[in-house]
Amino acid sequence: MPQSLFLKFLLQKSIKLLVLLGAVALLSFFLVSRSPIDPIDAYVGAAILKISPEQREVIADRWGLDKPPAERFFCWAGRLVRGDFGISTIYNEPVLSVIGKRFITSFWLMLLAWSFSGVLGFLLGIAAGAQEESLLDRVIRLYAFTMASTPTFWVGMVLLTIFSIELDWTPICCAWPPGMSAEETCFWQRLHHLLLPALTLSLIGVAQITLHTRGKMIEAMNSEYVIFARAQGDSTLGIVFRHAVRNAALPAITLQFASLGELFGGAVLAEQVFSYPGLGKTTVEAGIRGDVPLLLGIVIFSAIFVFFGNTLADIIYKYIDPRMRRMAGT
Amino acid sequence: MKRKAHYLKHFTIALLGSAFIMGSMETVYADKESIILAIGGENPEGYDPILGWGSYGNPLFQSTLLKRDADLKIVPDLAVDWSLSEDSLIWTVKIRADVAFSDGSPLTAEDVAFTFNTAASAGGLLDLSNLQKAEAPDDETIIFTLKTPDITFMQHFISLGIVPEKLYGPGYARNPIGSGPYKFVRWDEGQQMIVEANDRYYGDKAKIKKLVFLFSEENAALAAARAGEVDVLGIPSSFANQDIAGMKLHVVKSVDNRGLMFPLVPNTGKKTPDGLAIGNDVTSDPAIRKAVNYAINRQALVDGVLDGYGRPAYGVVDDMPWDNNKIRFHDNDPAKAIEILEKAGWVDANGDGIVEKNGRDAEFVILYNSKDILRQGLALTVSEMLKRVGIKAIPQGESWDRIKKELTHLHVVVYGFGDHSPLEMYKLYHTSGPEPLYWNAGFYSNPVVDGYLDQALLAKTFEDSIPYWQKAQWDGETGFAVSGDAAWAWLVNLDHTYFINKCLDVGQSQMEPHGHGWPITANINQWQWTCN
Repeated sequence: MPQSLFLKFLLQKSIKLLVLLGAVALLSFFLVSRSPIDPIDAYVGAAILKISPEQREVIADRWGLDKPPAERFFCWAGRLVRGDFGISTIYNEPVLSVIGKRFITSFWLMLLAWSFSGVLGFLLGIAAGAQEESLLDRVIRLYAFTMASTPTFWVGMVLLTIFSIELDWTPICCAWPPGMSAEETCFWQRLHHLLLPALTLSLIGVAQITLHTRGKMIEAMNSEYVIFARAQGDSTLGIVFRHAVRNAALPAITLQFASLGELFGGAVLAEQVFSYPGLGKTTVEAGIRGDVPLLLGIVIFSAIFVFFGNTLADIIYKYIDPRMRRMAGT
Repeated sequence: MKRKAHYLKHFTIALLGSAFIMGSMETVYADKESIILAIGGENPEGYDPILGWGSYGNPLFQSTLLKRDADLKIVPDLAVDWSLSEDSLIWTVKIRADVAFSDGSPLTAEDVAFTFNTAASAGGLLDLSNLQKAEAPDDETIIFTLKTPDITFMQHFISLGIVPEKLYGPGYARNPIGSGPYKFVRWDEGQQMIVEANDRYYGDKAKIKKLVFLFSEENAALAAARAGEVDVLGIPSSFANQDIAGMKLHVVKSVDNRGLMFPLVPNTGKKTPDGLAIGNDVTSDPAIRKAVNYAINRQALVDGVLDGYGRPAYGVVDDMPWDNNKIRFHDNDPAKAIEILEKAGWVDANGDGIVEKNGRDAEFVILYNSKDILRQGLALTVSEMLKRVGIKAIPQGESWDRIKKELTHLHVVVYGFGDHSPLEMYKLYHTSGPEPLYWNAGFYSNPVVDGYLDQALLAKTFEDSIPYWQKAQWDGETGFAVSGDAAWAWLVNLDHTYFINKCLDVGQSQMEPHGHGWPITANINQWQWTCN
């Protein structure tokens, strides 16, 4: 791709990102400000009887809740433009620092689950689509349909019961063994604690990719160029790898990168079940306790995350599919 | 179970595609120097007493001027002497001179004054709005000047942990330093906190050198306890009827109570300034409230709803030093309830099973937080019990938000309270302002009771205030208890249940306030191992 075209692409994407962030910020602020949760009540909790109405005003003042919503929005957006996400009311520390600490833990979980479900889903999809209605296809399809309609937290609980409680093969909670510090733990211990949550996430994530790859694969296997290749005496395996895989990869890539959003959502549930201290648990807390700055910070952060995922998919297309490269060239 | 299948472990690992050495992933087991506790206690905003850390239970890292012993008597901690001026406005507190923070720097009166003055304006969970100022004329003396006389201000001496002035700043909550029995080591947010015994602690030094607090979900904590990885587990009483190998059940009495709040004024269409409707024409009749109190079988509630882990509640402060035991009565007495109703003109003339008076059925709604199974159980069972005396109580689950913003002044609500300070009683029963929120949501008002409550605040010492707290409940003629105005129908006091390692001796636990978990650490420096 010529350099000027690439710059144009980047510029277009940046403008889109800005518009997207503006819209996301406005919409989520509106939604949160309409939420029935009173953050001060959530903060006060059991101490409710000890806090006088005057003290509530002092708390509201500390959090800037005494101003009308519109003023709060512009105040918040103004600071956001300067890169200041504000102070989380639950954690009483800057939002970016709250997100940063937890994202690192979540990141490994999501990366492991994401790559595992992508690779496995793609392979299963190819295997199923290569020979439609074969026994293998039926088994894989059944698995995919079952998983596509199973809630993450349920899979998590079943796996936890089987592997952690009944068989005692995997740990019950946390990101590393209790009583140890992060520095004392070795890579294998971390991985051991990561295994079950990541497996939960990927078992679910596999379904979508498998089904779409399978669909595209069947389409490719019935196309004229495959019939032509068959007529020339190519074997099924040869056809699959030389002709069909590249075609089937496109929806898989789209889905894989578009699924970053779902991955975020799935991580929320999996982290709840496994007491895995990542961003997911924090998102739930922020919602339940009405921590507006933190919740908005996470929304913006995940919007950026998903946006970059999709942009990456756009770029990868151009390398995999020669037609798109040519389209971009004209 | 744990050891049974070592080869199977290898098999899974191979199965899951990660072959790694098993030895590296064994869980670290607690020896007698270190224990693992799953009792909650994670404070997301950190461990800063100035924002309210430690006001339920104890601050652990910091120490307080006074404390309550196992019998809830006030005993000295940092303070050696404390006295109140003639006009009850000025406290003079002397502190011990030999106390150091865990970093070695001395704890002086300046630190105490700083802690109180900062907390008064910090906008946290401490309400110190009555404090005019705290001053330190010398290293061992602090003078607290109050705006109005209030003996319950002492509760802050008991609950506010002292922070070092020169180390206090934005990062303090995540790296607390104090003069408590334990010092902070590390906190992996959302996961665990590790603390070590403080060698510089001036009191009885902790015998258990290291504590690991596990912050996992209830089910995960239970599973970890079953796997032998937890030494102290806080658990809802509904889970207490089970055996966990190597652990014993530890039941702690509490004032964590549940009761029915009655709207005490009739509905005349009046509203609060924020527009919440006020009043209930049925429960504003004292006969109804008394009949409800007598008709309920509290022991049956304890046995049925709490699985036996609790005791009947007759007042808001049962078994506290300021409890008046004259307010106890024989409940489960439908005959007496019916008699009271009849005398007041509530009879079932139309034969539908519900008594009525002036054409109005004895019918009201009992609201409970729909997320709380325990409160739901209480509301449903009470409603059944009241049918016997011809009162129709309709249990209805709602969100706290709706209860607070629309319904609390209109209907009977299942509330839960219980504190180590009688101030709570004051807030619940003293004539309220126009917008009380949870404080006296039923608009109870009795000038005699108000008088006693106000006199209690004016007392010169905490002991002097106790008779007034007791008289407010019942003075022989009036009071808010059942023999008087029957402003509430208290139902049960919960027991807090814990599973504890058989080798761990946790001493005598203090009667716990509302809130299950952290308060068990109140005497943690006395805990010890009894096995080798």
